[in-house]
Amino acid sequence: MKEHMKQEKSDPFMALADPSRRYILQLLTKDNLTINAIAENFDMSRPAVSKHVKILCTAGFIAIEDIGRERYCKLNQAGFKDMQTWIDHFDSFWESKLNNLALMLKAHPKSRKS
Amino acid sequence: MKKAIKHTWVFDQSPEIVWEYLTNSDLLAMWLMKNDFQPLKGHKFMFLTKPMPDFGFDGNVHCEVLEIEPCTKLSYSWKGGPGDGTFNLNTVATWTLEAVGNGTELKLEHSGFEEHNAFTFDIMNKGWEVHIKDRVTKLINERAHEAGKK
Repeated sequence: MKEHMKQEKSDPFMALADPSRRYILQLLTKDNLTINAIAENFDMSRPAVSKHVKILCTAGFIAIEDIGRERYCKLNQAGFKDMQTWIDHFDSFWESKLNNLALMLKAHPKSRKS
Repeated sequence: MKKAIKHTWVFDQSPEIVWEYLTNSDLLAMWLMKNDFQPLKGHKFMFLTKPMPDFGFDGNVHCEVLEIEPCTKLSYSWKGGPGDGTFNLNTVATWTLEAVGNGTELKLEHSGFEEHNAFTFDIMNKGWEVHIKDRVTKLINERAHEAGKK
């Protein structure tokens, strides 16, 4: 068994923006599939499917594994963790920025009248 | 998993003062980020921050003032991308201010993550079931194999 695709990362939001790629991920929640098996669910050509798979791969959403003579696509936890990291990033970003604001306001007179 | 990012803060200062910190470009730069904000509906501006190349973000937040009601509400679009004119982050930040006693309750909602969020949540839930199934299948097969040897 060999793990493929340790290339430069592509960004997860872009990877998920495409409905075909979302559908591929949904298919993979049911089972690990070969590219041919994925292509059977689409009207597009096998190379086109292969291109989507590659994008999902570099974004970290799926991994490709050689089992015997076949190459199987399977879900990869890493990409999904990245998405959560991005959302968590904003959460703590605002937390720290609003802390700055609170500190600045503390130094400010309480109201204009006083 | 969260549908949107929400924060609520209470300050001792009046909404007028808090509003100034949200809408004066120089004050904003001091607590939030460098910017060319102007308190005008439809005004397009940018916040400048640290790039995050792993997420396809070049550090420029592209914004447009969507709603502005003095001392009450301010919302702007919040878009980010790798710098080629495309945006993979398409969100909205909304501030609401409410007078509470002599102070102000300030709420922030940063929304637009929902779609991605719900989708990834769904995939993660279903996906991990498959992984567990995989592992169980593997174990059963190994057992069967061992049993076969005996």
